[in-house]
Amino acid sequence: MSDIVISARGVQKSYGSNHVLQGLDCDIGRGITGLLGPNGAGKSTFMGLVLGLRPRQGGELNVLGVDPEQSGPELRAKLGYAPEHHDLPGDVQAADLVRHIAQLHGLPRRAATERASDALWQVGLGEERFRPVGTMSTGQRQRVKMAQALAHDPDLLLLDEPTDGLDPVQRDDMLALIRRVGREFGIDILLSSHLLEEVERVCDSVVILANGAVGHSGALDGLGSAATGVKVELDSDPQPLAAALAAQGAEAVIDGHIINVTGHDAAADLIRDLVADLGLGLRRLEPRRTTLEDVFIEASR
Amino acid sequence: MTEARIHDRGYLAYDGPRHGSGRAMVVLGYHTVQRVLGLKRSNWQKVMPAIALLVAFVPAIVFIGLAALLPASSDLDLGDPAGYYVPISFVLFLFTSFVTPEALCTDRSSGMLGLYLASPLNRDTYLASKFVAVIAVLGIMTIGPTLLMLIAFTLDGSGPDGALDWLIEFGRVLGAGLAMAAFWGSLALAVSSLSPRRTLASVAIFVSLLVSAAVGDGLSQGAELGDSFALLNMIALPIETVYRIYGEVNPDGPPIRHVETLPILFTFLGLIVVFGWFARWRYQRIEVTG
Repeated sequence: MSDIVISARGVQKSYGSNHVLQGLDCDIGRGITGLLGPNGAGKSTFMGLVLGLRPRQGGELNVLGVDPEQSGPELRAKLGYAPEHHDLPGDVQAADLVRHIAQLHGLPRRAATERASDALWQVGLGEERFRPVGTMSTGQRQRVKMAQALAHDPDLLLLDEPTDGLDPVQRDDMLALIRRVGREFGIDILLSSHLLEEVERVCDSVVILANGAVGHSGALDGLGSAATGVKVELDSDPQPLAAALAAQGAEAVIDGHIINVTGHDAAADLIRDLVADLGLGLRRLEPRRTTLEDVFIEASR
Repeated sequence: MTEARIHDRGYLAYDGPRHGSGRAMVVLGYHTVQRVLGLKRSNWQKVMPAIALLVAFVPAIVFIGLAALLPASSDLDLGDPAGYYVPISFVLFLFTSFVTPEALCTDRSSGMLGLYLASPLNRDTYLASKFVAVIAVLGIMTIGPTLLMLIAFTLDGSGPDGALDWLIEFGRVLGAGLAMAAFWGSLALAVSSLSPRRTLASVAIFVSLLVSAAVGDGLSQGAELGDSFALLNMIALPIETVYRIYGEVNPDGPPIRHVETLPILFTFLGLIVVFGWFARWRYQRIEVTG
Protein backbone atom coordinates (compact mmCIF):
# COMPACT_ATOMS: atom_id res chain seq x y z
CA MET A 1 0.00 0.00 0.00
CA SER A 2 1.18 3.50 -0.81
CA ASP A 3 2.36 5.71 2.04
CA ILE A 4 -0.05 8.38 0.86
CA VAL A 5 -3.63 7.60 1.88
CA ILE A 6 -5.25 10.83 0.73
CA SER A 7 -3.80 13.22 -1.80
CA ALA A 8 -5.49 16.52 -2.62
CA ARG A 9 -4.33 19.01 -5.24
CA GLY A 10 -6.14 22.30 -5.73
CA VAL A 11 -9.45 20.89 -4.46
CA GLN A 12 -12.28 23.39 -4.69
CA LYS A 13 -15.79 23.13 -3.33
CA SER A 14 -18.47 25.79 -3.24
CA TYR A 15 -22.06 25.94 -2.12
CA GLY A 16 -23.53 28.70 -4.22
CA SER A 17 -21.42 31.78 -3.56
CA ASN A 18 -19.88 30.25 -0.44
CA HIS A 19 -16.41 28.98 -1.42
CA VAL A 20 -15.74 26.44 1.32
CA LEU A 21 -12.57 24.90 -0.10
CA GLN A 22 -10.40 27.12 -2.28
CA GLY A 23 -7.55 25.11 -3.72
CA LEU A 24 -6.82 22.66 -0.96
CA ASP A 25 -3.45 20.87 -1.23
CA CYS A 26 -2.33 18.15 1.13
CA ASP A 27 -0.90 14.65 1.37
CA ILE A 28 -2.20 12.57 4.24
CA GLY A 29 0.00 9.61 5.06
CA ARG A 30 -0.48 6.42 7.00
CA GLY A 31 -1.18 6.41 10.73
CA ILE A 32 -3.49 8.72 12.62
CA THR A 33 -3.95 12.17 11.12
CA GLY A 34 -5.80 14.99 12.79
CA LEU A 35 -7.93 17.26 10.66
CA LEU A 36 -8.09 20.51 12.57
CA GLY A 37 -9.76 23.77 11.86
CA PRO A 38 -12.12 26.33 13.31
CA ASN A 39 -15.83 25.98 12.70
CA GLY A 40 -16.61 26.58 9.04
CA ALA A 41 -13.07 25.80 7.93
CA GLY A 42 -14.31 23.02 5.67
CA LYS A 43 -13.53 19.89 7.70
CA SER A 44 -16.91 18.25 7.17
CA THR A 45 -16.95 19.31 3.54
CA PHE A 46 -13.53 17.70 3.05
CA MET A 47 -14.80 14.52 4.76
CA GLY A 48 -17.76 14.53 2.37
CA LEU A 49 -15.42 14.81 -0.61
CA VAL A 50 -13.21 12.02 0.71
CA LEU A 51 -16.30 9.82 1.02
CA GLY A 52 -17.31 10.75 -2.53
CA LEU A 53 -20.65 12.14 -1.38
CA ARG A 54 -20.24 15.42 -3.21
CA PRO A 55 -18.79 16.50 -6.54
CA ARG A 56 -15.98 19.02 -6.33
CA GLN A 57 -15.69 22.08 -8.52
CA GLY A 58 -12.02 21.66 -9.29
CA GLY A 59 -8.74 20.01 -8.43
CA GLU A 60 -7.72 16.40 -7.95
CA LEU A 61 -8.50 14.14 -5.03
CA ASN A 62 -7.15 10.66 -4.58
CA VAL A 63 -8.22 8.41 -1.70
CA LEU A 64 -6.67 4.94 -1.35
CA GLY A 65 -5.55 5.22 -4.95
CA VAL A 66 -8.88 6.17 -6.53
CA ASP A 67 -10.91 9.29 -7.21
CA PRO A 68 -13.88 9.27 -4.80
CA GLU A 69 -16.06 11.04 -7.32
CA GLN A 70 -15.45 8.38 -9.95
CA SER A 71 -15.29 5.26 -7.76
CA GLY A 72 -17.45 6.19 -4.78
CA PRO A 73 -19.15 2.82 -4.06
CA GLU A 74 -15.93 0.81 -4.50
CA LEU A 75 -14.00 3.24 -2.33
CA ARG A 76 -16.63 3.45 0.40
CA ALA A 77 -16.53 -0.33 0.77
CA LYS A 78 -13.00 0.19 2.12
CA LEU A 79 -13.84 3.15 4.35
CA GLY A 80 -15.28 3.27 7.82
CA TYR A 81 -17.12 6.41 8.84
CA ALA A 82 -18.30 7.52 12.25
CA PRO A 83 -20.34 10.72 11.93
CA GLU A 84 -20.40 13.53 14.44
CA HIS A 85 -24.02 13.25 15.51
CA HIS A 86 -25.13 10.93 18.32
CA ASP A 87 -28.41 9.95 16.72
CA LEU A 88 -28.82 6.28 15.97
CA PRO A 89 -32.06 4.30 15.67
CA GLY A 90 -33.08 3.82 19.28
CA ASP A 91 -35.08 0.63 18.91
CA VAL A 92 -32.32 -1.37 17.21
CA GLN A 93 -29.91 -3.56 19.14
CA ALA A 94 -26.28 -2.52 18.86
CA ALA A 95 -25.31 -5.91 17.40
CA ASP A 96 -28.04 -5.71 14.74
CA LEU A 97 -27.03 -2.19 13.77
CA VAL A 98 -23.34 -3.02 13.43
CA ARG A 99 -24.11 -6.23 11.53
CA HIS A 100 -26.41 -4.32 9.16
CA ILE A 101 -23.73 -1.76 8.33
CA ALA A 102 -21.13 -4.51 7.86
CA GLN A 103 -23.46 -6.25 5.42
CA LEU A 104 -23.93 -3.01 3.52
CA HIS A 105 -20.15 -2.88 3.16
CA GLY A 106 -20.23 -6.22 1.42
CA LEU A 107 -19.74 -8.79 4.15
CA PRO A 108 -21.88 -11.94 3.93
CA ARG A 109 -24.46 -12.16 6.70
CA ARG A 110 -22.64 -14.77 8.77
CA ALA A 111 -19.30 -12.96 8.62
CA ALA A 112 -21.06 -9.67 9.37
CA THR A 113 -22.70 -11.18 12.45
CA GLU A 114 -19.39 -12.53 13.76
CA ARG A 115 -17.47 -9.34 13.06
CA ALA A 116 -20.21 -7.15 14.55
CA SER A 117 -19.90 -9.09 17.77
CA ASP A 118 -16.08 -8.89 17.68
CA ALA A 119 -16.12 -5.16 16.92
CA LEU A 120 -18.46 -4.47 19.82
CA TRP A 121 -16.16 -6.45 22.13
CA GLN A 122 -13.19 -4.47 20.84
CA VAL A 123 -14.83 -1.15 21.66
CA GLY A 124 -15.82 -2.38 25.12
CA LEU A 125 -19.49 -3.10 24.50
CA GLY A 126 -19.33 -6.88 24.41
CA GLU A 127 -21.68 -7.33 27.34
CA GLU A 128 -24.00 -4.63 26.06
CA ARG A 129 -24.24 -5.70 22.44
CA PHE A 130 -27.85 -6.85 22.61
CA ARG A 131 -29.11 -3.66 24.21
CA PRO A 132 -31.20 -1.26 22.10
CA VAL A 133 -29.07 1.72 21.14
CA GLY A 134 -31.72 4.06 22.53
CA THR A 135 -31.02 2.84 26.06
CA MET A 136 -27.29 3.60 25.79
CA SER A 137 -25.37 6.60 27.08
CA THR A 138 -23.69 9.08 24.76
CA GLY A 139 -20.33 7.44 25.42
CA GLN A 140 -21.71 4.02 24.54
CA ARG A 141 -23.29 5.36 21.36
CA GLN A 142 -19.95 6.82 20.34
CA ARG A 143 -18.52 3.33 20.79
CA VAL A 144 -21.33 1.81 18.72
CA LYS A 145 -20.47 4.30 15.97
CA MET A 146 -16.84 3.24 16.24
CA ALA A 147 -17.83 -0.45 16.11
CA GLN A 148 -19.97 -0.01 12.98
CA ALA A 149 -17.10 1.81 11.31
CA LEU A 150 -14.67 -0.98 12.23
CA ALA A 151 -16.68 -4.15 11.71
CA HIS A 152 -16.04 -4.50 7.97
CA ASP A 153 -12.27 -4.07 8.47
CA PRO A 154 -11.79 -0.78 6.61
CA ASP A 155 -8.48 0.45 5.22
CA LEU A 156 -9.23 4.00 6.31
CA LEU A 157 -11.35 5.21 9.20
CA LEU A 158 -12.96 8.65 9.11
CA LEU A 159 -13.92 9.91 12.56
CA ASP A 160 -15.86 13.14 12.82
CA GLU A 161 -15.56 14.69 16.29
CA PRO A 162 -15.49 11.28 18.04
CA THR A 163 -15.28 12.74 21.56
CA ASP A 164 -18.12 15.20 21.15
CA GLY A 165 -20.51 15.03 24.09
CA LEU A 166 -18.28 12.80 26.23
CA ASP A 167 -17.28 13.49 29.81
CA PRO A 168 -13.53 13.59 30.65
CA VAL A 169 -13.31 9.90 31.59
CA GLN A 170 -15.24 8.77 28.51
CA ARG A 171 -13.09 11.07 26.42
CA ASP A 172 -9.88 9.51 27.70
CA ASP A 173 -11.30 6.06 27.00
CA MET A 174 -12.31 7.03 23.48
CA LEU A 175 -8.89 8.55 22.73
CA ALA A 176 -7.22 5.40 24.03
CA LEU A 177 -9.48 3.34 21.77
CA ILE A 178 -8.65 5.50 18.75
CA ARG A 179 -4.95 5.15 19.49
CA ARG A 180 -5.37 1.39 19.79
CA VAL A 181 -7.26 1.17 16.49
CA GLY A 182 -4.52 3.15 14.78
CA ARG A 183 -1.52 1.43 16.38
CA GLU A 184 -2.62 -2.15 17.10
CA PHE A 185 -5.27 -2.71 14.42
CA GLY A 186 -3.13 -0.99 11.80
CA ILE A 187 -6.04 1.01 10.37
CA ASP A 188 -5.27 4.48 9.06
CA ILE A 189 -7.41 7.16 10.64
CA LEU A 190 -8.46 10.66 9.66
CA LEU A 191 -9.72 12.32 12.81
CA SER A 192 -11.67 15.54 12.45
CA SER A 193 -11.65 17.65 15.59
CA HIS A 194 -11.51 21.18 16.85
CA LEU A 195 -9.80 20.14 20.10
CA LEU A 196 -6.04 20.62 19.83
CA GLU A 197 -5.23 18.66 22.94
CA GLU A 198 -6.84 15.44 21.77
CA VAL A 199 -5.19 15.69 18.38
CA GLU A 200 -1.84 16.15 20.11
CA ARG A 201 -2.51 13.10 22.25
CA VAL A 202 -3.42 10.57 19.59
CA CYS A 203 -2.32 11.78 16.17
CA ASP A 204 0.90 11.20 14.28
CA SER A 205 0.37 14.15 11.98
CA VAL A 206 -1.98 17.03 11.48
CA VAL A 207 -3.66 18.96 8.69
CA ILE A 208 -4.97 22.35 9.71
CA LEU A 209 -7.65 23.87 7.52
CA ALA A 210 -8.20 27.59 7.53
CA ASN A 211 -10.10 29.80 5.16
CA GLY A 212 -10.77 26.95 2.76
CA ALA A 213 -7.15 25.91 2.37
CA VAL A 214 -4.45 24.03 4.26
CA GLY A 215 -2.84 26.37 6.76
CA HIS A 216 -0.35 23.78 7.96
CA SER A 217 0.31 20.09 7.54
CA GLY A 218 3.02 17.88 8.92
CA ALA A 219 4.12 15.40 11.53
CA LEU A 220 3.33 16.23 15.12
CA ASP A 221 6.61 14.91 16.50
CA GLY A 222 8.41 17.62 14.52
CA LEU A 223 6.64 20.18 16.61
CA GLY A 224 8.42 21.07 19.83
CA SER A 225 11.81 19.78 18.71
CA ALA A 226 12.86 23.06 17.15
CA ALA A 227 13.33 26.04 19.45
CA THR A 228 11.84 29.29 18.22
CA GLY A 229 13.25 31.84 20.66
CA VAL A 230 13.32 31.96 24.43
CA LYS A 231 10.62 31.99 27.06
CA VAL A 232 11.21 34.08 30.21
CA GLU A 233 9.13 34.09 33.36
CA LEU A 234 9.76 36.70 36.04
CA ASP A 235 8.42 36.99 39.56
CA SER A 236 7.43 40.59 38.90
CA ASP A 237 6.02 42.87 36.20
CA PRO A 238 7.58 41.81 32.87
CA GLN A 239 7.07 45.22 31.25
CA PRO A 240 10.53 46.74 32.06
CA LEU A 241 12.38 43.71 30.73
CA ALA A 242 10.23 43.62 27.60
CA ALA A 243 11.02 47.29 26.97
CA ALA A 244 14.73 46.70 27.51
CA LEU A 245 14.71 43.73 25.15
CA ALA A 246 12.90 45.74 22.49
CA ALA A 247 15.51 48.48 22.87
CA GLN A 248 18.20 45.87 22.11
CA GLY A 249 16.42 44.80 18.91
CA ALA A 250 14.74 41.66 20.19
CA GLU A 251 11.06 40.97 19.66
CA ALA A 252 9.40 40.55 23.05
CA VAL A 253 5.74 39.55 23.40
CA ILE A 254 4.20 39.60 26.86
CA ASP A 255 1.81 36.75 27.71
CA GLY A 256 0.80 37.17 31.36
CA HIS A 257 3.95 36.82 33.47
CA ILE A 258 5.81 35.31 30.54
CA ILE A 259 7.76 37.06 27.80
CA ASN A 260 8.29 35.23 24.52
CA VAL A 261 11.51 36.53 23.00
CA THR A 262 12.49 36.05 19.36
CA GLY A 263 14.57 37.87 16.79
CA HIS A 264 17.90 37.86 18.62
CA ASP A 265 20.75 35.41 18.11
CA ALA A 266 21.91 35.45 21.73
CA ALA A 267 18.61 36.10 23.44
CA ALA A 268 19.42 33.98 26.53
CA ASP A 269 22.67 35.87 27.20
CA LEU A 270 20.99 39.20 26.60
CA ILE A 271 18.13 38.34 29.01
CA ARG A 272 20.59 37.17 31.67
CA ASP A 273 22.45 40.48 31.47
CA LEU A 274 19.32 42.63 31.40
CA VAL A 275 17.72 40.80 34.33
CA ALA A 276 20.89 41.36 36.34
CA ASP A 277 21.10 45.03 35.33
CA LEU A 278 17.43 45.67 36.18
CA GLY A 279 17.57 43.72 39.42
CA LEU A 280 14.63 41.48 38.48
CA GLY A 281 13.83 38.06 39.92
CA LEU A 282 14.12 35.38 37.24
CA ARG A 283 11.81 32.41 37.72
CA ARG A 284 12.29 30.54 34.43
CA LEU A 285 14.39 30.85 31.28
CA GLU A 286 14.01 28.16 28.65
CA PRO A 287 14.01 27.63 24.89
CA ARG A 288 10.58 28.29 23.48
CA ARG A 289 9.12 25.27 21.61
CA THR A 290 6.47 25.59 18.96
CA THR A 291 3.21 24.05 20.17
CA LEU A 292 0.29 22.84 18.11
CA GLU A 293 -1.62 25.79 19.45
CA ASP A 294 1.02 28.15 18.06
CA VAL A 295 0.80 26.44 14.69
CA PHE A 296 -2.99 26.45 14.79
CA ILE A 297 -3.19 30.14 15.62
CA GLU A 298 -0.62 30.99 12.97
CA ALA A 299 -2.39 28.85 10.36
CA SER A 300 -5.79 30.29 11.21
CA ARG A 301 -4.70 33.88 10.67
CA MET B 1 -10.10 -29.27 35.73
CA THR B 2 -9.99 -25.52 35.29
CA GLU B 3 -12.10 -23.92 32.60
CA ALA B 4 -10.06 -21.90 30.09
CA ARG B 5 -11.65 -18.92 28.37
CA ILE B 6 -10.37 -16.59 25.71
CA HIS B 7 -11.19 -13.09 26.87
CA ASP B 8 -9.75 -11.11 23.99
CA ARG B 9 -9.09 -12.49 20.53
CA GLY B 10 -7.58 -9.20 19.47
CA TYR B 11 -8.52 -7.48 16.26
CA LEU B 12 -8.80 -9.80 13.30
CA ALA B 13 -8.47 -8.62 9.72
CA TYR B 14 -11.17 -9.77 7.31
CA ASP B 15 -9.96 -11.59 4.21
CA GLY B 16 -13.24 -13.20 3.15
CA PRO B 17 -15.49 -12.40 0.21
CA ARG B 18 -17.07 -8.98 -0.22
CA HIS B 19 -20.20 -8.22 -2.21
CA GLY B 20 -20.74 -5.05 -4.22
CA SER B 21 -23.29 -2.27 -4.21
CA GLY B 22 -25.98 -4.54 -5.71
CA ARG B 23 -25.91 -6.65 -2.59
CA ALA B 24 -25.98 -3.50 -0.45
CA MET B 25 -29.23 -2.53 -2.20
CA VAL B 26 -30.74 -5.92 -1.40
CA VAL B 27 -29.62 -5.66 2.24
CA LEU B 28 -31.12 -2.19 2.60
CA GLY B 29 -34.33 -3.19 0.80
CA TYR B 30 -34.82 -6.23 3.03
CA HIS B 31 -34.10 -4.15 6.12
CA THR B 32 -36.63 -1.52 5.00
CA VAL B 33 -39.33 -4.14 4.43
CA GLN B 34 -38.72 -5.41 7.96
CA ARG B 35 -38.89 -1.89 9.41
CA VAL B 36 -42.07 -0.95 7.56
CA LEU B 37 -43.80 -4.18 8.57
CA GLY B 38 -42.70 -3.66 12.17
CA LEU B 39 -40.63 -6.85 12.28
CA LYS B 40 -37.96 -6.96 15.01
CA ARG B 41 -39.65 -3.93 16.53
CA SER B 42 -41.99 -3.36 19.44
CA ASN B 43 -45.50 -4.86 19.35
CA TRP B 44 -46.95 -1.39 18.99
CA GLN B 45 -45.08 -0.93 15.71
CA LYS B 46 -46.59 -4.16 14.40
CA VAL B 47 -50.21 -3.13 15.01
CA MET B 48 -50.85 -0.94 11.97
CA PRO B 49 -49.17 -3.22 9.41
CA ALA B 50 -50.97 -6.23 10.90
CA ILE B 51 -54.36 -4.51 10.71
CA ALA B 52 -53.68 -3.37 7.14
CA LEU B 53 -52.73 -6.88 6.03
CA LEU B 54 -55.73 -8.31 7.83
CA VAL B 55 -58.19 -5.91 6.24
CA ALA B 56 -56.65 -6.46 2.80
CA PHE B 57 -56.58 -10.24 2.96
CA VAL B 58 -59.60 -11.29 5.00
CA PRO B 59 -62.24 -10.80 2.28
CA ALA B 60 -60.13 -12.71 -0.24
CA ILE B 61 -59.55 -15.52 2.26
CA VAL B 62 -63.28 -15.68 2.92
CA PHE B 63 -63.91 -15.91 -0.83
CA ILE B 64 -61.41 -18.74 -1.11
CA GLY B 65 -63.01 -20.54 1.80
CA LEU B 66 -66.47 -20.21 0.31
CA ALA B 67 -65.22 -21.31 -3.09
CA ALA B 68 -63.62 -24.37 -1.53
CA LEU B 69 -66.53 -25.31 0.72
CA LEU B 70 -69.58 -24.59 -1.38
CA PRO B 71 -70.42 -26.71 -4.40
CA ALA B 72 -69.79 -25.19 -7.82
CA SER B 73 -73.54 -25.16 -8.49
CA SER B 74 -74.25 -22.77 -5.63
CA ASP B 75 -73.92 -19.68 -7.86
CA LEU B 76 -71.40 -18.11 -5.55
CA ASP B 77 -70.88 -14.48 -6.60
CA LEU B 78 -67.18 -13.78 -6.20
CA GLY B 79 -67.59 -10.20 -7.26
CA ASP B 80 -65.58 -8.07 -9.66
CA PRO B 81 -61.75 -8.33 -9.37
CA ALA B 82 -61.25 -4.65 -10.21
CA GLY B 83 -63.83 -3.72 -7.59
CA TYR B 84 -61.70 -5.39 -4.94
CA TYR B 85 -59.19 -2.52 -5.27
CA VAL B 86 -61.69 -0.04 -3.81
CA PRO B 87 -61.47 -1.40 -0.23
CA ILE B 88 -57.77 -2.13 -0.77
CA SER B 89 -57.30 1.54 -1.67
CA PHE B 90 -58.76 2.52 1.65
CA VAL B 91 -56.21 0.29 3.37
CA LEU B 92 -53.43 1.68 1.18
CA PHE B 93 -54.53 5.22 1.94
CA LEU B 94 -54.10 4.63 5.69
CA PHE B 95 -51.01 2.44 5.35
CA THR B 96 -49.25 4.86 3.01
CA SER B 97 -50.07 7.79 5.25
CA PHE B 98 -49.13 6.30 8.57
CA VAL B 99 -46.59 3.53 7.95
CA THR B 100 -44.57 4.10 4.79
CA PRO B 101 -42.89 7.35 6.02
CA GLU B 102 -40.90 4.94 8.22
CA ALA B 103 -39.01 3.93 5.08
CA LEU B 104 -37.38 7.33 4.59
CA CYS B 105 -38.01 9.68 7.51
CA THR B 106 -36.46 7.53 10.22
CA ASP B 107 -33.16 7.23 8.35
CA ARG B 108 -32.83 11.00 8.39
CA SER B 109 -34.00 11.60 11.93
CA SER B 110 -31.85 8.76 13.31
CA GLY B 111 -28.73 9.71 11.35
CA MET B 112 -28.71 6.41 9.48
CA LEU B 113 -28.78 8.19 6.12
CA GLY B 114 -25.20 9.36 6.69
CA LEU B 115 -24.10 5.81 7.45
CA TYR B 116 -25.93 4.45 4.40
CA LEU B 117 -24.37 7.00 2.07
CA ALA B 118 -20.95 6.24 3.56
CA SER B 119 -21.41 2.65 2.39
CA PRO B 120 -21.23 1.38 -1.21
CA LEU B 121 -24.72 2.84 -1.71
CA ASN B 122 -25.14 6.25 -3.27
CA ARG B 123 -28.15 8.55 -3.23
CA ASP B 124 -29.74 6.96 -6.27
CA THR B 125 -29.22 3.35 -5.24
CA TYR B 126 -30.39 4.22 -1.74
CA LEU B 127 -33.64 5.69 -3.06
CA ALA B 128 -34.09 2.85 -5.54
CA SER B 129 -33.77 0.32 -2.69
CA LYS B 130 -36.30 2.23 -0.64
CA PHE B 131 -38.70 2.50 -3.56
CA VAL B 132 -38.54 -1.21 -4.34
CA ALA B 133 -38.94 -2.06 -0.65
CA VAL B 134 -42.03 0.13 -0.30
CA ILE B 135 -43.50 -1.32 -3.49
CA ALA B 136 -42.80 -4.82 -2.17
CA VAL B 137 -44.70 -4.11 1.05
CA LEU B 138 -47.58 -2.38 -0.70
CA GLY B 139 -47.53 -5.15 -3.29
CA ILE B 140 -48.33 -7.68 -0.59
CA MET B 141 -51.62 -5.84 -0.18
CA THR B 142 -52.28 -4.99 -3.81
CA ILE B 143 -51.23 -8.27 -5.42
CA GLY B 144 -51.72 -10.80 -2.63
CA PRO B 145 -55.50 -10.60 -2.16
CA THR B 146 -56.32 -10.34 -5.85
CA LEU B 147 -54.04 -13.27 -6.59
CA LEU B 148 -55.96 -15.21 -3.98
CA MET B 149 -59.16 -14.00 -5.65
CA LEU B 150 -57.94 -15.35 -8.98
CA ILE B 151 -57.24 -18.67 -7.32
CA ALA B 152 -60.72 -18.57 -5.79
CA PHE B 153 -62.32 -17.89 -9.17
CA THR B 154 -60.33 -20.74 -10.68
CA LEU B 155 -61.22 -23.17 -7.90
CA ASP B 156 -64.85 -22.19 -8.20
CA GLY B 157 -64.76 -22.94 -11.89
CA SER B 158 -65.80 -19.39 -12.67
CA GLY B 159 -62.27 -18.22 -13.49
CA PRO B 160 -60.82 -17.43 -16.91
CA ASP B 161 -61.38 -20.02 -19.61
CA GLY B 162 -58.22 -21.71 -20.81
CA ALA B 163 -54.55 -21.19 -20.08
CA LEU B 164 -54.19 -18.07 -22.23
CA ASP B 165 -57.09 -16.24 -20.56
CA TRP B 166 -55.80 -17.29 -17.18
CA LEU B 167 -52.38 -15.87 -17.98
CA ILE B 168 -53.95 -12.61 -19.22
CA GLU B 169 -55.90 -12.35 -15.98
CA PHE B 170 -52.77 -13.18 -14.01
CA GLY B 171 -50.94 -10.41 -15.88
CA ARG B 172 -53.73 -7.97 -14.99
CA VAL B 173 -53.50 -8.95 -11.33
CA LEU B 174 -49.75 -8.37 -11.34
CA GLY B 175 -49.91 -5.22 -13.48
CA ALA B 176 -52.75 -3.61 -11.53
CA GLY B 177 -51.17 -4.51 -8.18
CA LEU B 178 -47.74 -3.23 -9.17
CA ALA B 179 -49.18 -0.06 -10.71
CA MET B 180 -51.14 0.73 -7.59
CA ALA B 181 -48.18 -0.04 -5.31
CA ALA B 182 -45.87 2.08 -7.48
CA PHE B 183 -48.27 5.04 -7.36
CA TRP B 184 -48.81 5.00 -3.60
CA GLY B 185 -45.15 4.17 -2.97
CA SER B 186 -43.79 7.00 -5.10
CA LEU B 187 -46.24 9.43 -3.50
CA ALA B 188 -45.13 8.32 -0.04
CA LEU B 189 -41.44 8.72 -0.90
CA ALA B 190 -41.95 12.15 -2.48
CA VAL B 191 -43.82 13.54 0.52
CA SER B 192 -41.54 11.79 3.04
CA SER B 193 -38.51 13.38 1.37
CA LEU B 194 -39.74 16.76 2.59
CA SER B 195 -39.14 16.14 6.27
CA PRO B 196 -37.20 13.86 8.61
CA ARG B 197 -40.20 13.84 10.92
CA ARG B 198 -42.47 10.85 10.44
CA THR B 199 -45.55 12.43 11.94
CA LEU B 200 -45.23 15.46 9.72
CA ALA B 201 -44.85 13.27 6.63
CA SER B 202 -47.86 11.18 7.64
CA VAL B 203 -50.04 14.23 8.06
CA ALA B 204 -48.74 15.68 4.80
CA ILE B 205 -49.57 12.51 2.85
CA PHE B 206 -52.98 12.20 4.48
CA VAL B 207 -53.90 15.84 3.90
CA SER B 208 -52.51 16.01 0.35
CA LEU B 209 -54.62 13.01 -0.66
CA LEU B 210 -57.78 14.41 0.88
CA VAL B 211 -57.15 17.84 -0.60
CA SER B 212 -56.46 16.37 -4.03
CA ALA B 213 -59.75 14.47 -3.89
CA ALA B 214 -61.68 17.53 -2.78
CA VAL B 215 -60.04 19.81 -5.35
CA GLY B 216 -60.31 17.32 -8.22
CA ASP B 217 -63.95 16.47 -7.67
CA GLY B 218 -64.84 20.02 -6.68
CA LEU B 219 -63.41 21.52 -9.87
CA SER B 220 -64.80 18.87 -12.18
CA GLN B 221 -68.21 18.39 -10.64
CA GLY B 222 -68.90 21.30 -8.31
CA ALA B 223 -67.46 24.06 -10.48
CA GLU B 224 -68.25 22.10 -13.64
CA LEU B 225 -64.89 23.00 -15.20
CA GLY B 226 -64.68 19.69 -17.02
CA ASP B 227 -64.07 16.02 -16.30
CA SER B 228 -60.31 16.39 -16.86
CA PHE B 229 -59.96 18.13 -13.51
CA ALA B 230 -61.06 14.88 -11.89
CA LEU B 231 -57.58 13.59 -12.72
CA LEU B 232 -56.34 15.69 -9.78
CA ASN B 233 -58.07 13.28 -7.41
CA MET B 234 -55.12 11.14 -6.32
CA ILE B 235 -57.32 8.71 -4.40
CA ALA B 236 -59.58 7.96 -7.37
CA LEU B 237 -56.86 8.04 -10.03
CA PRO B 238 -55.13 4.75 -9.11
CA ILE B 239 -58.49 2.99 -8.62
CA GLU B 240 -59.74 4.13 -12.01
CA THR B 241 -56.41 3.16 -13.58
CA VAL B 242 -56.82 -0.36 -12.23
CA TYR B 243 -60.34 -0.51 -13.67
CA ARG B 244 -58.94 0.51 -17.06
CA ILE B 245 -56.23 -2.16 -16.80
CA TYR B 246 -59.08 -4.63 -16.38
CA GLY B 247 -60.77 -3.01 -19.39
CA GLU B 248 -63.60 -1.63 -17.27
CA VAL B 249 -64.90 1.64 -15.89
CA ASN B 250 -65.65 2.07 -12.20
CA PRO B 251 -69.46 2.07 -12.32
CA ASP B 252 -69.95 3.82 -9.00
CA GLY B 253 -66.81 5.93 -9.10
CA PRO B 254 -66.24 9.66 -8.82
CA PRO B 255 -66.20 11.98 -11.89
CA ILE B 256 -62.88 10.57 -13.10
CA ARG B 257 -64.83 7.64 -14.58
CA HIS B 258 -65.95 9.98 -17.38
CA VAL B 259 -62.34 10.63 -18.50
CA GLU B 260 -60.87 8.66 -21.42
CA THR B 261 -58.38 5.88 -20.66
CA LEU B 262 -55.36 7.51 -22.32
CA PRO B 263 -55.35 10.70 -20.21
CA ILE B 264 -55.85 8.58 -17.11
CA LEU B 265 -52.86 6.36 -17.89
CA PHE B 266 -50.76 9.33 -18.94
CA THR B 267 -51.54 11.24 -15.72
CA PHE B 268 -51.03 8.12 -13.63
CA LEU B 269 -47.59 7.34 -15.08
CA GLY B 270 -46.65 11.03 -15.18
CA LEU B 271 -47.36 11.44 -11.49
CA ILE B 272 -45.23 8.39 -10.61
CA VAL B 273 -42.36 9.91 -12.61
CA VAL B 274 -42.85 13.34 -11.02
CA PHE B 275 -43.00 11.89 -7.51
CA GLY B 276 -39.85 9.84 -8.14
CA TRP B 277 -38.04 12.81 -9.67
CA PHE B 278 -39.02 15.02 -6.74
CA ALA B 279 -37.75 12.54 -4.15
CA ARG B 280 -34.47 12.23 -6.07
CA TRP B 281 -34.14 16.00 -6.37
CA ARG B 282 -34.66 16.38 -2.63
CA TYR B 283 -32.14 13.69 -1.76
CA GLN B 284 -29.46 15.13 -4.01
CA ARG B 285 -29.49 18.19 -1.77
CA ILE B 286 -29.40 16.62 1.67
CA GLU B 287 -26.11 17.08 3.53
CA VAL B 288 -25.06 14.12 5.64
CA THR B 289 -21.53 14.94 6.80
CA GLY B 290 -22.10 18.34 8.33
